[in-house]
Amino acid sequence: MTLYLFYFLSFLAIISALMVVVSKNPVNSVLFLIITFFAIAGHYVLLNAQFLAAVHIIVYAGAIMVLFLYVIMMMNFSKESEPSKTKLSQIVATVAGGIFLITLIGALHFYDVDMSPGHSDPGAGLVGALGKVLFSKFLLPFEISSLLFLAAMTGVVLLGKKNNDNS
Amino acid sequence: MITLFIISLLGVIAMLAEILKFKKLLAPLTLLGLIAAMGAGVSEWNNPVFIPVFNNMLLFNHYALAFSISLCLVTFLWFLMAQDYLKTETAITDHYALILFSLAGGIVLTAFGNMVMLFLGIEILSIPLYILAGSRKTDLASNEASFKYFLLGAFAIGFLLFGIALIYGATGSFELNTINQYILQHPGEMPAFFYAGILLIIAGLAFKVSAAPFHFWTPDVYQGAPTMITAFMSTIVKIAAFAGFFRLFSTCFVSVADSWNQLIGILAIISMLLGNITAIRQDSFKRMLAYSSISHAGYLLLAILAINNHSAGAIFLYTLAYAVASITAFAVLKKVYALKNNDLIESFNGLAKRNPLLALSITIAMLSLAGIPPTGGFFAKYVIFNTALTGGHLWLVIIAVIASLIGVYYYFKAIIASWFKPATDENLIELSLQDKLLLIITTLLTLAIGLFPEFILNLLS
Repeated sequence: MTLYLFYFLSFLAIISALMVVVSKNPVNSVLFLIITFFAIAGHYVLLNAQFLAAVHIIVYAGAIMVLFLYVIMMMNFSKESEPSKTKLSQIVATVAGGIFLITLIGALHFYDVDMSPGHSDPGAGLVGALGKVLFSKFLLPFEISSLLFLAAMTGVVLLGKKNNDNS
Repeated sequence: MITLFIISLLGVIAMLAEILKFKKLLAPLTLLGLIAAMGAGVSEWNNPVFIPVFNNMLLFNHYALAFSISLCLVTFLWFLMAQDYLKTETAITDHYALILFSLAGGIVLTAFGNMVMLFLGIEILSIPLYILAGSRKTDLASNEASFKYFLLGAFAIGFLLFGIALIYGATGSFELNTINQYILQHPGEMPAFFYAGILLIIAGLAFKVSAAPFHFWTPDVYQGAPTMITAFMSTIVKIAAFAGFFRLFSTCFVSVADSWNQLIGILAIISMLLGNITAIRQDSFKRMLAYSSISHAGYLLLAILAINNHSAGAIFLYTLAYAVASITAFAVLKKVYALKNNDLIESFNGLAKRNPLLALSITIAMLSLAGIPPTGGFFAKYVIFNTALTGGHLWLVIIAVIASLIGVYYYFKAIIASWFKPATDENLIELSLQDKLLLIITTLLTLAIGLFPEFILNLLS
């Protein structure tokens, strides 16, 4: 049962991710992106990481997608304003992406997942375990990321301030 | 560790300066704080009890302390240089805070012991710069620089994260030491995607150090950003990114060096040749420095490639010599830009007649960047090439020597313009006491590094 669910979610995630790139209309792209996020959140649930799944949906499918849609509606993309890419850059991008895909498929193909040293207890993704790790082993990164947020907030203030002079 | 505390605290204080109304005190306070941070670093250096803190998240060993002190020193010089720029900006306190936060990220990058800290360090270093690059809100070039840097930077960080995830999948740890031990315990058994992870990490870091072919953002961002921010990007960010790059590869992936050193070699060759050859055609001094910074990334990659006992010292000496000479060059460019309102190399014409000190300092800075004795740049290059030779990379060194000979040509364009070309107006240029002091200090430092390179090299070997 879980296996079928896994295949279904993977299929959904890959197809909708492809549609994000392929579809011409940006609003459609965003809607497909939401489906991708939900499919990935489903994978998290299958891996017994409910907290991560919930956060993923709240942050990505909720907050970030609303921002995306808002910006797209504000900008009102029309087809004429989009810069057309040259044939050469399209070919180069396809070749580069294809090589990257082949590398990853080749790297992951022959691997026996049960050998992975990353295998730990199945409760690792639960909120209790996560909290314990976050406030013991990963305390410093947790605190240091406050610097990151301070920097981002200061930056927003800087960009939002009105210039008195046009230096 | 105390250095990091002092810098972070200083950033928070700078942020509060506007509300608590001590804007005037901020400049001396920051300079004093940077001196205190350097002092704290030196005192930790003299009491070598290097215990990893917070579960191996950070380890301030001699390597980390040396790079932290050099970062603080260069930032100190940068603040001296950028005083006029900061005074004209409306949001002075925000500028101070962002620069100091960025520096704190750089210090994390010199000392990380865990992939998580590597990621956070790079982000804290970069995010303030995405904003500062676009701090001229009415200037389109500045907006473009910021946007380009942000989008491409976020993309590169994505590669880095993907790489870290694959490494975690292969070894089951984020800790550099644990990863290294796991590799040593399983020789020849690492799964293929482990190497894919190293590849992706190299792509992410090569973007940060602006090595070709991940350099496309560099010229546009360097030219569009305000000159002082460009100076910060090409000095402090470069030192921090290389310190992190080398720390990761020397502690973590040194035992699988065969799998990645060809790749680094190719990056180094492309960066050296492409950077130097493209720099020849530039008319703008700032753009020329951008391409020259790509070529310097190429030389520095040689030391990472040859990974041995001398590499750390070589990278330290090279980044320091490069950063000090760049600060001099940017200080002169700032003065010239203020007069002519453009950054063409022609604007340097007749500089020697208008102000000999400016001409002399740009000459020494250019000689150092080109790698001509007795300046610091010469010995730095010599040590790097020597390190690569001990590693047995003769062909790479030959290419590097050819590349640096090409480099001499365009560095001399600025020297020739300032000494031998006639000036369009003959008025003398007045320098403030601060500018004079800065130029004298950086020029003397460049010469001092050239005269006593052993002192700096012996710190880290």
